[in-house]
Amino acid sequence: MDSEDDMHDANDLDSLDDDFYSGETEDAPMDYYTDYDDDADDYFDDGDDSDPADSRRPEQNFTILKESDIRQRQEDDISRVAAVLSIPRVAASILLRHYNWSVSKVNDAWFADEEQVRKTVGLLEKKVYENPDANELTCGICFEVYPPSKIQTASCGHPYCFSCWGGYIGTSINDGPGCLMLRCPDPSCGAAVDQDMINLLVSAEDKEKYDRYLLRSYIEDNKKTKWCPAPGCEHAVNFDAGSGSYDVSCLCSYSFCWNCTEEAHRPVDCGTVSKWILKNSAESENMNWILANSKPCPKCKRPIEKNQGCMHMTCTPPCKFEFCWLCLGAWTDHGERTGGFYACNRYEAAKQEGVYDETEKRREMAKNSLERYTHYYERWASNQSSRQKALADLHQMQTINIEKLSDTQCQPESQLKFITEAWLQIVECRRVLKWTYAYGFYLAEHEQGKKQFFEYLQGEAESGLERLHQCAEKELQVFLNGDGPSKDFNDFRTKLAGLTSVTRNYFENLVRALENGLCDVDSNGAASSKATGSKNAAGSSKGRGGRGKGTIRASMSSRITDDNHWSCEQCTYANVRSATACQMCNQPRR
Amino acid sequence: MTSSSTSSRKNLSKIACNRLQKELTEWQASPPAGFNYKVSDNLQRWVIEVVGAPGTLYANETYRLQVDFPEHYPMEAPQVIFMNPAPMHPHIYSNGHICLDILYDSWSPAMTVSSVCISILSMLSSSTVKQRPEDNDRYVKNCRNGRSPKETRWWFHDDKV
Ligand SMILES: [Zn+2]
Ligand SMILES: [Zn+2]
Ligand SMILES: [Zn+2]
Ligand SMILES: [Zn+2]
Ligand SMILES: [Zn+2]
Ligand SMILES: [Zn+2]
Ligand SMILES: [Zn+2]
Repeated sequence: MDSEDDMHDANDLDSLDDDFYSGETEDAPMDYYTDYDDDADDYFDDGDDSDPADSRRPEQNFTILKESDIRQRQEDDISRVAAVLSIPRVAASILLRHYNWSVSKVNDAWFADEEQVRKTVGLLEKKVYENPDANELTCGICFEVYPPSKIQTASCGHPYCFSCWGGYIGTSINDGPGCLMLRCPDPSCGAAVDQDMINLLVSAEDKEKYDRYLLRSYIEDNKKTKWCPAPGCEHAVNFDAGSGSYDVSCLCSYSFCWNCTEEAHRPVDCGTVSKWILKNSAESENMNWILANSKPCPKCKRPIEKNQGCMHMTCTPPCKFEFCWLCLGAWTDHGERTGGFYACNRYEAAKQEGVYDETEKRREMAKNSLERYTHYYERWASNQSSRQKALADLHQMQTINIEKLSDTQCQPESQLKFITEAWLQIVECRRVLKWTYAYGFYLAEHEQGKKQFFEYLQGEAESGLERLHQCAEKELQVFLNGDGPSKDFNDFRTKLAGLTSVTRNYFENLVRALENGLCDVDSNGAASSKATGSKNAAGSSKGRGGRGKGTIRASMSSRITDDNHWSCEQCTYANVRSATACQMCNQPRR
Repeated sequence: MTSSSTSSRKNLSKIACNRLQKELTEWQASPPAGFNYKVSDNLQRWVIEVVGAPGTLYANETYRLQVDFPEHYPMEAPQVIFMNPAPMHPHIYSNGHICLDILYDSWSPAMTVSSVCISILSMLSSSTVKQRPEDNDRYVKNCRNGRSPKETRWWFHDDKV
């Protein structure tokens, strides 16, 4: 394994970067990434020192409802109203429908003015129409004369024959959900047509449709419930407003924002999401080329197809050039064990530093604004497609690979849960990362300090996720392809599980920091006092001012990531407690 | 003039025929005041003369309504329009389309030709000004392909007039 120093010489970094990348001081930037359980909290200012597991999983403020749950709740509400108001269930159903399924509103209105409520919803207490001749009744629609046995009436008494009722109700049901508010056909009469009458008078098919509308109404007209927007999903969500985020995740595994029903988009807010979506549709023509899945290899110029989830690309032999899909830069410049700073997330309009006359400046700005958008959009879209790919991979893992692995490595499937967990984490991280690009796009240009801090955090997130993604995607492959149990498998487990937990922590902190608007950083990039005052002040003082990210350099010392592991300060590998040097890079434990 | 004949029409159902026969008999026995229908052999399209009520802006003016019945009348509303020239009225477009809720969303099968006529005459009688709807030109232009008023998503003008 190359030592850090060798890498530095090879890369001939300038002094600033040298300082930054320096591996032998307490300044290694990876450390920040590693320290989640400890220093990261300081920087991210989550305001309490409680067990991170608590703050990570706030009390769930939503419930997923299957169809049977929905029906049960609806039945219960109807029964409750029927009991309290002493009215038939069908009447209670009409009332609830009218008051958007709010039991308390029904009760309030009813007990405030029962007569008025009855009038409004059409629950008459006595007939308003008496037939002049009780033996012969004229249907008010077909005008034919019938004996009473062939005539039906709603609570009002207006007579219509079975067939006319059937046509009337059937037409209304086929017109849409308005049938739930159906009234007597007489234009001057508001008597409600209840579900008992409907069940008596219409075809099985129409009954079924009515029933569907009633179920849908319970979800759609109720302020506390919504359907899961995932295509084909029939679950609904009941949401209790109050504290906590709007993110909701359905049993179908789709996560969405309760407030705007777009895909879950923490850490950006709903307004930013809709602005961003609007922007994307306005620019969609310009952006089409970006979505193309092929780019020329930066070295040999042959087209390279991106078919894997992570951004680390390797050109086909004989070129074998390793590069970053996003910036097309050499991968060796990117991090991993070079200790490098992952910088391809940054958008730097270097030209703006030059001096321009006014027109040139304006032309430049117009060009830049599209370039700038392109930069963010491409990264947003890449993470989106990486996420799709990761979802497919996750599925592949769950359906095929875990079983296969269980065979080749002689491991019970229960012991392979760490792989599924890693992939779930990748999917979630890709989602967060995707939205950080919308966040970055709207981050005010003038807040340089914040911007730099943000880009640093985002870069670290990007590189940490790459590490996880690469491990779960490529390193796993070796074991999948193996003929029999590998002695390295346990090390792989430790590494992947460690990376998963480390990445989860980092992203959770990142989301919180961004949601707080990076309030720890003032716009000049000066550190907030909090970081300076951290218990590791010695380390943090050294690199201050580098790129406005001095504060996030933490002190170095090996951290115990959990009771059984310590995390390598150099490569972040989670080593077993007994190891005195990193099993990955031989860095001695400090 | 505007014609609804372009809208493809199916023959009246048996129920519709029976019902219209009854309406016709009733109409002949006691037609609504101000209306005159000369019976033709076409049960599916009635052309009805209406005379403006005395003491209103339309007193002594005569207009003609064209009433077309759909296959599933009365479950579906009839199409009712004024023939050319249509009266000048804030809810009547120059192509004869009438903005009146009972002809569309608020139709009920318990209504009849006669009750519709009475509503239209009352709408005329309550008018205080002879003018076209504000959006007349735009609306009429959009209807040029012989679109039926029943295909319009009506946003009803205030229902006082
Ligand atoms: Zn009947
Ligand atoms: Zn009635
Ligand atoms: Zn779902
Ligand atoms: Zn939202
Ligand atoms: Zn190449
Ligand atoms: Zn890059
Ligand atoms: Zn190491």
